[in-house]
Amino acid sequence: MPAWFTPERMTWLFRVNPALKFAVFLLLLFITLFNRNLPLAAWLAVLSAILLYGFSGYSAKKLALLSIPIALSFASSFITMALFGKGDTVLWQWGIFKISEESIRHGLLLGTKSLSFGFTGFAFLLTVEPVLFFYAMMQQFRLPSKYAYSFIASIRLLPVIAEEIQVRSNALKVRGITFSRGVRGVGERIRSYTVPLFAQSIRRAQRIAIAMEAKQYQMGAARTYFYSTSYSRHDAIFLAVMAVSVAAVFWLSFGVPY
Amino acid sequence: MKPLDTAAGSCTDEALSLRKLRLKFPGEDSLLFKDLSFSVKKGEKVLLLGPSGCGKSTLLQVASGIVPRSFELPMKSEAIDLPSSWGFVFQDPDTQFCMPYVDEELAFVLENLAVPQEEMPERIEAVLRRVGLQLTDVHTPILELSQGMKQRLALASVLLMEPDVLFLDEPSALLDPEGTEQIWSSIRDAAADKTVVIVEHKIEQITGWIDRVVLFTDHGEILADGPPDTVFREHRPELIRYGIWYPGVWEDYVRSEGFLQLMRDRPGTGDSRIVELESFTGWRGKRAVIHAEKADVAEGSWIAVLGENGSGKSSLLLSMIQLLKTTGTLTVDGRTVIQKKRRRTLPDGLSLVFQNPELQFVANSLFEELTVSMHTLNPEEAEKRAYGLLKRFSLPEDGKRHPYQLSVGQKRRLSVATALTGNTQVLLLDEPTFGQDARNTFVMLETLETLRRNGLTIVMVTHDLEIADHFATHQWHIADGRLMSCEKTGGAAHARLVHS
Amino acid sequence: MKKLTFTDLLITIMVGVVFGILMKFWDDLYTAIKPVLPVARQLLYGMWFMNGVFAFLLIRKPGVALIASIAGAGLSAFIGHGLGVLIYGAAQGLAAELLFAAFRYRKFSIPFAGLAGVASCAASFGLDLIYGYADLETWALIVKYGLRAVSAFIFTGVFAVLVIRALEATGVTNSIRPVAKEEYSLLDR
Ligand SMILES: Nc1ncnc2c1ncn2[C@@H]1O[C@H](COP(=O)(O)OP(=O)(O)OP(=O)(O)O)[C@@H](O)[C@H]1O
Ligand SMILES: Nc1ncnc2c1ncn2[C@@H]1O[C@H](COP(=O)(O)OP(=O)(O)OP(=O)(O)O)[C@@H](O)[C@H]1O
Ligand SMILES: [Mg+2]
Ligand SMILES: [Mg+2]
Repeated sequence: MPAWFTPERMTWLFRVNPALKFAVFLLLLFITLFNRNLPLAAWLAVLSAILLYGFSGYSAKKLALLSIPIALSFASSFITMALFGKGDTVLWQWGIFKISEESIRHGLLLGTKSLSFGFTGFAFLLTVEPVLFFYAMMQQFRLPSKYAYSFIASIRLLPVIAEEIQVRSNALKVRGITFSRGVRGVGERIRSYTVPLFAQSIRRAQRIAIAMEAKQYQMGAARTYFYSTSYSRHDAIFLAVMAVSVAAVFWLSFGVPY
Repeated sequence: MKPLDTAAGSCTDEALSLRKLRLKFPGEDSLLFKDLSFSVKKGEKVLLLGPSGCGKSTLLQVASGIVPRSFELPMKSEAIDLPSSWGFVFQDPDTQFCMPYVDEELAFVLENLAVPQEEMPERIEAVLRRVGLQLTDVHTPILELSQGMKQRLALASVLLMEPDVLFLDEPSALLDPEGTEQIWSSIRDAAADKTVVIVEHKIEQITGWIDRVVLFTDHGEILADGPPDTVFREHRPELIRYGIWYPGVWEDYVRSEGFLQLMRDRPGTGDSRIVELESFTGWRGKRAVIHAEKADVAEGSWIAVLGENGSGKSSLLLSMIQLLKTTGTLTVDGRTVIQKKRRRTLPDGLSLVFQNPELQFVANSLFEELTVSMHTLNPEEAEKRAYGLLKRFSLPEDGKRHPYQLSVGQKRRLSVATALTGNTQVLLLDEPTFGQDARNTFVMLETLETLRRNGLTIVMVTHDLEIADHFATHQWHIADGRLMSCEKTGGAAHARLVHS
Repeated sequence: MKKLTFTDLLITIMVGVVFGILMKFWDDLYTAIKPVLPVARQLLYGMWFMNGVFAFLLIRKPGVALIASIAGAGLSAFIGHGLGVLIYGAAQGLAAELLFAAFRYRKFSIPFAGLAGVASCAASFGLDLIYGYADLETWALIVKYGLRAVSAFIFTGVFAVLVIRALEATGVTNSIRPVAKEEYSLLDR
């Protein structure tokens, strides 16, 4: 992980078994996904915001930066649905735009759903070490090792690809290649970056797969694990906290009259 | 892989055998191997020698079963019998690791062997010591290792498997002399009772150890096969004709008419200083990876940059051409280079050949690769020069192939050739001769010397002291990220350094 | 048809992951212009269908379109798009996979690649219906999904095929695809 992605402090969320955390967050996302109730969606968004801002251990500045696309996605889901959504109780109409009570509610629902998606996704991503996550998936959830290692190797290659972009631009500079101005230049640039980048990534992936098999990796063979992941006290606490929070969210949404 | 038929002779004392192998690359017209038969006895130490591009790497991959198990090439053979327990050190150190960190990479091998977790850390420490890869923390990102350090890591992961058969594809190509010695001594220790098949150009270290040498021609045919002494003695003319390394090749070369002619009244360096460095530092992030207090390069000189793996040689070149962030003063041909944070163009007059040749390529065919930076020439002229370069560096002469579809040594030559096409005053070369056979090494050096005579200045990183002694006019020594000394070749201080 | 080797699988997932990252950037662009240019934004949507089709055109084996889609969606799900994306990715990948299967994994040209994209688009429409993104006025519905299908065809049929052809020119595809039978017969000359 690049240096930017190191948290200021390690919170309890880091110590939870990553596979379990994945399962629980997945459940949370499922609820969000199938839910059509606005208060529930809103409270779920609040819960995931607490998880992200309170317990990811990242500085407020970084979190604010990461929240920009989430906020944008809230705004865009809301506005589109509000302007073009179905609805009979029309509040305002101008040309093809028609805002109704239903469309506003619906827009808010979709908007808050996007907030939950964004917050929960980051709360997971920022508090998990990818390698450990896949080790846990193999050990706790029996994910076949061929998928786990393919993912680990691919993710390891991502910084290499990022570096590759740099390398590519260095090569073009060193070789004295220049581009035309304007739109044509943009086209030339895209072409002289994308195709080689893809070609390189594919060749890399292939050679790494060959090297892995040469290191006696066999699909489906029995293996041991360098990082043994298991359940601990933290997981019990995590499960309890999440259960109470979700119960609270439901109570706030349905138990309290508005 | 099951043998198609168990021919007489391929009894149990053979570690591997291939009979009448035919193989080609898809889309190519000619066969790489035509009815090649090759076998290795158990416990034998075999060295494959041949011109660059003759198919040594490919043969190792067939012999280990990587071809066609992990990737398919059109091939067939009458009988094929391959080892079941083997390890492979690949030629390219950049693409043989799948995990982000050094310890995780070695652990991956142990996991595959189902070694219990408690034993892993200890075995990892031990194997790293064995290959001489000293790290303050084994949890170091592989991306931050220098090329030579990666090669040691690759060997370490193979040694962990304790395989019956070891395939080594130029395991010491990028290592410093000490590292080469170290790697071979750890291979000798680890593989005393194992079968070892080696492809290597730097052979001084191993000729005493191997049992058998197999010589290949340009066309992937076996030219000679036997004990090293016999082969090197009886096949000297062929070795010279095909430009293959043999012990004592340098002595023969420096006595040859060609070399003497080249060195007869060799012009010295000019008076003006073309590059000057003062309190010059190159940075990777917040870490100063190279520092030079004061150094200058006289016009027309040939500087050999020497130093251990990871000492900062590549970083020096990258800093000079401003691909790393730098501070201090850098002057090229009297012009002070302005060290902007993000710059669009590189300093005028400098040109670089990267350590990893693939980083150099920008085009889709060999031919285009060579012509792309000859904008100043008219097309016919450029075409003529490109074909000339392909021929001189023994590259596939039709020039249509993609640069990636070459052997490692061919890629290296192509990347050097591309740097000879532009107009440069100072050429920075990062280990231009690694992985080359003797002929191509000398051709490259002679070409560079000719260019030097016409006014080019050369700064060249190398681990080969013969090159430094016979071609360089100056030697720079780098240690621990600092430029320690700049000496004229042959000076007293130089002798001390080399022999200490 | 040949089974997936480990090399194929790693390349597939790698392609998926790279697209996952690309889709993240694409999404930021998409979100930015969504409220401003409600019509044009649908024309950008085809990017989401490229992943599986691209991987299949590259490797040409069964299962690839589905796995790459899920891998890409899985990655982009956890860098900010949420689980919805994962389900969409799976459904779209499946649709493309089924289309290629219907032609016995033997068609790789523009019309078929484009059709696979349109199939993915249909799958995404089905999911939108279920989740409530499609509760629009009828005219808006037709414009939205009509444009989306056009975009699907352009991205998967035209762009993906063009990039693959450019890759073929570099020779990388030669080494990862199954070798043609004729190549073997050339050995006997
Ligand atoms: N993908 C490819 N397509 C076509 N030809 C190729 C491809 N890869 C390699 N070749 C050719 O096959 C030949 C053998 O390559 P190989 O890598 O086995 O050579 P080598 O003897 O190991 O050379 P070196 O000493 O330079 O590493 C070379 O001439 C090379 O140009
Ligand atoms: N991409 C990188 N990121 C961070 N650190 C790096 C990177 N590449 C090299 N280094 C570090 O910089 C230092 C100098 O590396 P450099 O590549 O200049 O060594 P070198 O002298 O060229 O070695 P070699 O002979 O092995 O090529 C090493 O300690 C290395 O760990
Ligand atoms: Mg080779
Ligand atoms: Mg170096």
